[in-house]
Amino acid sequence: MRVAFVGKGGAGKSAIAGTFARLLARRDGPVLAVDSDPMPGLAFSVGVPVTDAPIPDEAVQERAEGEEGPRFRLREGLTAAEAVQRYAAAGPDGVRFLQFGKLRGSSGGLLRSQFAFRQILSSLPEEGWNVVGDLPGGTRQAFFGWGGYARTILVVVEPTAKSLLSARRLARLATVDPPPDAVVAVANKVREPGDVELVARRTGLEVVASVPWDEALADAERQGRAPIDAAPDSASVAAVASLLDRLGKVS
Amino acid sequence: MRVAVVGKGGSGKTTTSAVVARTLARHGHRVVAVDCDSNPTLGISLGLGADDTERLVARREELDEGESEHAPSWDELIDRFGSDAPDGVRLAVVTRIQNPEPG
Repeated sequence: MRVAFVGKGGAGKSAIAGTFARLLARRDGPVLAVDSDPMPGLAFSVGVPVTDAPIPDEAVQERAEGEEGPRFRLREGLTAAEAVQRYAAAGPDGVRFLQFGKLRGSSGGLLRSQFAFRQILSSLPEEGWNVVGDLPGGTRQAFFGWGGYARTILVVVEPTAKSLLSARRLARLATVDPPPDAVVAVANKVREPGDVELVARRTGLEVVASVPWDEALADAERQGRAPIDAAPDSASVAAVASLLDRLGKVS
Repeated sequence: MRVAVVGKGGSGKTTTSAVVARTLARHGHRVVAVDCDSNPTLGISLGLGADDTERLVARREELDEGESEHAPSWDELIDRFGSDAPDGVRLAVVTRIQNPEPG
């Protein structure tokens, strides 16, 4: 299974993605969790004890003069699967974790890691690897192919005007080339009976999960702990498990 | 006074910006609220409504798609890419919506 979580900042992408990655790993073997936010936060929600894990410079080489292709790529002879084995951090339940690395001052320092990151995701064999991605808040990165590895795009939406508007913009991801198999919504921080219907109507997306507003999840976030560790019996973790059930049946 | 509000996604940048802008305007200052987010939603927090916010974004996208020209001056930029929000705040969407840089 290959999914990417997108949505407005603060909609709850990381908390849901981290929980989803852990549950998927428990059920279905190796999961690569990927954070392409230059202000990364997914590590906390997965429960991986790293806060900054870029792909190191020595794993990347620059395009030679006159050579075709992207400016940076994985060093000659290093396959995507090997790069994951070597550089992705090991997390609980067998989740492997990869990120851009943190933004420091200018964006130039991260370029090599970002190119390698994208190459790993585009060439990692689909056989044997589940991928769960967490994109930065907003629309820009998603529309430039940074979630292109995902068969299913999950738009996390809270029932607020700004989040709904952002999700409506993200719904257009269904029209990119090549299109993903599905773009669907996950309603989050649901408090009112009409919230799910509101998300469906205002975004035009099918709502495949409804995650309730959950104080236990908010506490986990405050503590910087993975929801699945801090609040394993919470309603929000149960809702993410239902999401996994539903996607598992579809694929 | 010129302030810029930054922070991680979801931390409340847009809401804070909007409240600061409208409070300044209510105290008699001329205020331009500049939305530099590639997913612009400041119009909503200012009270402009979703439709007007999307109209501003569409106008900005016409520029990115080469269907209209850049504004030659700051005044014209505020005029062409702006809209009047409550309390006399002028909102302008000035970000490039589509940009291949990651992040």
